[in-house]
Amino acid sequence: MYKIVLLFLFVLSIAGASHGAGKGLTLLPEKPFVPDFVLKDVEGNTHRISDYKGHVIIVNFWATWCPPCRAEMPSMQRAWEQLREEGIMMLAIDVGEDEDTVFEFTASYPVDFPLLLDMDSTVSEAWEVKGLPTTFVIDQWGRKVYRAIGGREWDDPELLNQVRRLKQVP
Amino acid sequence: MRLILPGFLLLLWPGLGAAAITVEVGENTGLRTWQWTHQGISLRLVQRLPDQTRAYLLGRGFPAAAADEAATSCFFGTMFRNDGTLPLDFDLNTWKVVQKGRDTRMLVREFWKNKLSGGAVPKAARIALHWSLMPTQQHFEPGDYNWGMMVFGLSPGEYFDLHMQLKLDGKPLAVTIPGLRCAPEELN
Repeated sequence: MYKIVLLFLFVLSIAGASHGAGKGLTLLPEKPFVPDFVLKDVEGNTHRISDYKGHVIIVNFWATWCPPCRAEMPSMQRAWEQLREEGIMMLAIDVGEDEDTVFEFTASYPVDFPLLLDMDSTVSEAWEVKGLPTTFVIDQWGRKVYRAIGGREWDDPELLNQVRRLKQVP
Repeated sequence: MRLILPGFLLLLWPGLGAAAITVEVGENTGLRTWQWTHQGISLRLVQRLPDQTRAYLLGRGFPAAAADEAATSCFFGTMFRNDGTLPLDFDLNTWKVVQKGRDTRMLVREFWKNKLSGGAVPKAARIALHWSLMPTQQHFEPGDYNWGMMVFGLSPGEYFDLHMQLKLDGKPLAVTIPGLRCAPEELN
């Protein structure tokens, strides 16, 4: 009996010890408009969120030292390879690091969506990001519709379809 | 990981189902990990040696003296997850660090912002520390999680209990993790 109880307790502990990516996207019922920003990417190009009005955009806040941020990068690239042909944008905003650090990171994690630099973290704070990674899905009118706190498997078909459905909203 | 059976507690809250606290020791590192789980919510606390934190802070641009002072403040690496079905809220300002009958507060982001502003620590280093700490307040919908360091403001090797206040689907939930220990300066 003692062994059975111990086994039960052990199984219970393992069941709660999930280390994988998070799941799903949280709908933000108020759909707040996003604050505009002007940020440079690692190649020196300037981006304004307002430049992308009319597009559904995935905006990811991350940092190179953040393990779940690194873990989700390959799935973001795979998602981007599917979505860019459909006119859905993806931007990743590095928080608090310089261009050399992010550039070095891309040697190990090659991605070809824009990597923007929020070196003083003012944009992250204006967007009410509390922890990294945090990702928002923005609709064609510049409103936050979905949020994910923590990493995700971005090429999960169910998640991608949730993003695609936004594009179909008239 | 080796599971320490004497440290394995099963706690039951009437009507709320089972909660468990496990304690493990890393076979290679010797560092201890505590994990509390309840209805799909989990908080994992992993000891960090002061040297690990020193190295991290020096790498982010902290001057040696500031890195050393911070590193001996009892840092843990933590992972807070909501794999359950209900929304979760927490505010680290309401948590208590209880040691020998005396309770203190955690050293949260705002503490470090005040302590380090105007000092010798460069802005980029302060920003790095800010974002690498667990958010002071957070709201997790099911599927959300954060990694981040928590700081308990005690000396290396000190023991303490952590009294946590959470809100699960808006309802208060009080939890105590007993017998946590700050990593010592060196492992034997």
